Amino acid sequence: MTEYLIRRILQSVLVLFLISVLSFALMHAAPGGPTQIMLSPGLSQEALEIQKRNLGLDQPVHIQYIRWMGNILQGDLGTVFKTGIPVSDILWPTVGNTMILMGAAWLVTLIVALPWGIYNSTRVYSISDHAANFIAYLGFAMPTFWFGIILQKYLALKLKWFPLSDMWSFGKKGDIGDLVWHLVMPVTVLSLSFLASYVKYARASMLEVLHMDYIRTARAKGVKERVVVFRHALRNALIPVVTIIGLDFPLLVSGAALTEKVFNWPGMGRLFVDMALAREYSVLMAIVLVTAVFVVFGNLLADILYAIVDPRVQLSRKGGRA
Amino acid sequence: MAERVLEVSKLTAGFPTDHGFLKAADNVSLKIDRGETLCLVGESGSGKSVTSLAIMRLLEYEGGFILDGQIKLHDEDLTLKTQEEMIHIRGKKIAMIFQDPMSALNPVFTIGDQIAESLRLHQGMSPKEAEKEAIELLRRVGIPAPEIRIRQYPHELSGGMCQRVVIAIALACKPDLLIADEPTTALDVTVQAQILDLLRKLQDEMGLSILLITHDLGVAAEMADRIAVMYAGTIVEEGYVKDIFANPCHPYTQGLLQSIPGFEGERGSELYTIKGSIPPLTQLPSGCRFHPRCPHATPKCMQEQPGHYAVPGKDHYAACWLHDPAGAANEETGVSRE
Amino acid sequence: MSASDSALQAVKKSPGPWKIAGRKFVRNPYAMAGVFVLLFFVFVAIFAPILTPYDPAKIDLMNANLPAGSEGHLLGTDELGRDILTRLIYSTRVSLTVGFSVALASVLIGTVIGAISGYFGGWIDTILMRFVDVMYSLPSLFINILVLTLWGSSFGYMIMVLSFTSWMGVARLVRGNFLQLREMQYVEAAKAIGVSNVSIIFRHLLRNSIHPIIVYATLMVGSAILSESALSYLGLGIQAPQTSWGLMLSNAQEFMLIQPQLALYPGLCILVLVLAVNFIGDGLQNALNPKEKKKIPMRRLQQWRNEYLKSAN
Repeated sequence: MTEYLIRRILQSVLVLFLISVLSFALMHAAPGGPTQIMLSPGLSQEALEIQKRNLGLDQPVHIQYIRWMGNILQGDLGTVFKTGIPVSDILWPTVGNTMILMGAAWLVTLIVALPWGIYNSTRVYSISDHAANFIAYLGFAMPTFWFGIILQKYLALKLKWFPLSDMWSFGKKGDIGDLVWHLVMPVTVLSLSFLASYVKYARASMLEVLHMDYIRTARAKGVKERVVVFRHALRNALIPVVTIIGLDFPLLVSGAALTEKVFNWPGMGRLFVDMALAREYSVLMAIVLVTAVFVVFGNLLADILYAIVDPRVQLSRKGGRA
Repeated sequence: MAERVLEVSKLTAGFPTDHGFLKAADNVSLKIDRGETLCLVGESGSGKSVTSLAIMRLLEYEGGFILDGQIKLHDEDLTLKTQEEMIHIRGKKIAMIFQDPMSALNPVFTIGDQIAESLRLHQGMSPKEAEKEAIELLRRVGIPAPEIRIRQYPHELSGGMCQRVVIAIALACKPDLLIADEPTTALDVTVQAQILDLLRKLQDEMGLSILLITHDLGVAAEMADRIAVMYAGTIVEEGYVKDIFANPCHPYTQGLLQSIPGFEGERGSELYTIKGSIPPLTQLPSGCRFHPRCPHATPKCMQEQPGHYAVPGKDHYAACWLHDPAGAANEETGVSRE
Repeated sequence: MSASDSALQAVKKSPGPWKIAGRKFVRNPYAMAGVFVLLFFVFVAIFAPILTPYDPAKIDLMNANLPAGSEGHLLGTDELGRDILTRLIYSTRVSLTVGFSVALASVLIGTVIGAISGYFGGWIDTILMRFVDVMYSLPSLFINILVLTLWGSSFGYMIMVLSFTSWMGVARLVRGNFLQLREMQYVEAAKAIGVSNVSIIFRHLLRNSIHPIIVYATLMVGSAILSESALSYLGLGIQAPQTSWGLMLSNAQEFMLIQPQLALYPGLCILVLVLAVNFIGDGLQNALNPKEKKKIPMRRLQQWRNEYLKSAN
């Protein structure tokens, strides 16, 4: 197990390194990139050179990269160009908020989708099954931000059941009840498409497992049907679902960004969009890296979970056979 | 008089489809006594698996139904039982093993776990007792170092080992009847022989009755006390193994025996095949189902299904008009089909 | 009549796989509905100038914020006086163009990369697949935003960046097919007869991959339309004076109290179009799939259970 862990961690580090190189290259290759932005137009050639030297842009590219990475690893994520505030100051508070949103959506998805999908696999073509199918089609075709806007219009503005936007009501920061109230609509929007997929996955996986030979063996042993489904079948059915959950993490991040913008949720995604419109590249880079770390970490976790849940996964190079 | 363990009478079972109800087993009757092995022989599509699943009342889980007939285990009719009642019978009084041992075991549970489940379910053993018994069982089925194997997962074992484990699970609670559906088909020939030996050994030790389903007449010759030959859902011949091989009376049985390479005939001569192929259940021939492929068919064979008629040998029956004691068909023998 | 005669009669020339698929597709009500809807949108896109007299970009502050049903403006006007219906119609062009272009481009890129990876194997395969992993690890929305910010939000760049972040699925698929088929018997058989490598790739392998690729491409159209509208909504995609449903929706949020229908129609258009395309994609998948499990509806199953009562517990 440790060998596997070490291997996966090294792989993850490699991937992060590649991502950082890619992002850095992107920044410096782009015509609208920081080089252009940070050098005010209309300067004379000499002034340009001085500015370049000040910003460290006169060094060869790989030196710049090393400087930049060095700073990052020490926690210095750069500064916001317009205001001079360190990026970390505006970034870290938002990370927590995004994680709350994503975590809640993820939890809701699992709690609703998995049992529903499993139920549908035992009652194929029932009303419940058709309903799930219908929601699946809707979830895949509906623009999530539009769904959010519609919810805002009807549930918040018209019916006043939920707050229109933001994370906390004015003056109520820290109140969990208030937070949950604010979470309802964004989480609904964010989890819709994931819910749709996971119900389908769970159902398909369960159906496949229920037709396996070992289920027949279990029945032939005289095991109660309920135990067959929940003990023998379920564990096998969840294995592929677990892998998919890990792989879907980047999608969750993307979806969260959009949702944050619709509901004005103070998270990383909203910050990313705002900074993109303001052309604040240092912040953008920092967010990309932080996101990449989360995604890679998420994948790692999913792989570990998978290795724990499925005994067939070969953790080391040597195989085992009688 | 030997104790009768299983008596199946006029069992008709199959699947509902768009084309109507397909009777994969039509009017099937079998009997097995204590300590006896009955081999149900037939090609794929003959209905042998459906029969075995019906006996276990597992057919419902595969989308099938029992239409008619009785399945008497000792004196209880299994067709009248609910699934809740069957749960106490499966694994305890009847056990079943299937064809592919590698996929018959649940990949996420240890071997020990899967054996112990049976023991704890039907005999109420504690986890510790069950583990001890499981180790014993593995030893009895010939698996070396059972203490280690207990904690291993199915994918760590070879096919032959897995089948031994499957047998151990099946026999854990000492059932009266074991149904084995093609237990050796997926295994190498040498392993096949080992598994068959094991089954025979356990049978002697436990007084076990076995319903062995196979398409391989060689296996039947090895293992059977009695053989029942199945074709297109019906039993066409049954009898003791010596009689079947020495004096096969149904043309299909005769054809099967002739088809075995090397059984008769000289080297270099063309292999014998029964002309035609098994009819799909949706297009069963009228009258005797074998008549389109039968070299001795008569007009009567096309019209009516034959009953079971006694033929030479103890408890030897064949479902063929040629052996009808009323003799109506015999006059027209000689009209053969190409 | 002898057996062989009747057998000959029974063997009719069976239709080719495309014909079978075509028939199956046409019998699928959802798929056909999808086709009609799609054709409708295409029609609207092509004949936009004929369908509406207004210019979607023309600002007319005199007639701003007219409610739906006003004279000459079926759906009213937005805050700059532009006719909403016109903008909806012209946005069709954007969505359809982006959708199909991205689908085509990403399939091309993915097929090439997947084919190279699958056919040659070895370290080429490893490197390319690591690259695919990296691409998958990044939230595509972020990449799209980043690139559009850096290079500018032109139409062409948007199509490019969307394609560059959606080819991975096709690549994996094609590679998987190639790996499978490489091992398969008939490729060995073809090689044994002496068919050339290139020929094998094109005739045998690609032919087998073509089915899932078509399905994937169709679903990609919907996905691209959704991505474009999201980017436009955020202000990073289509910019004025061009119009897009996503762009209309960002206005909508601002002016939700004044112009409620701004919020409804653009989103509805996206939903309907993507739904139609998805139905087509699913229809294609069902039609092209040779193994078909006959679906027995629940009611019928219950019916049978009650009829054949002997063992129904």
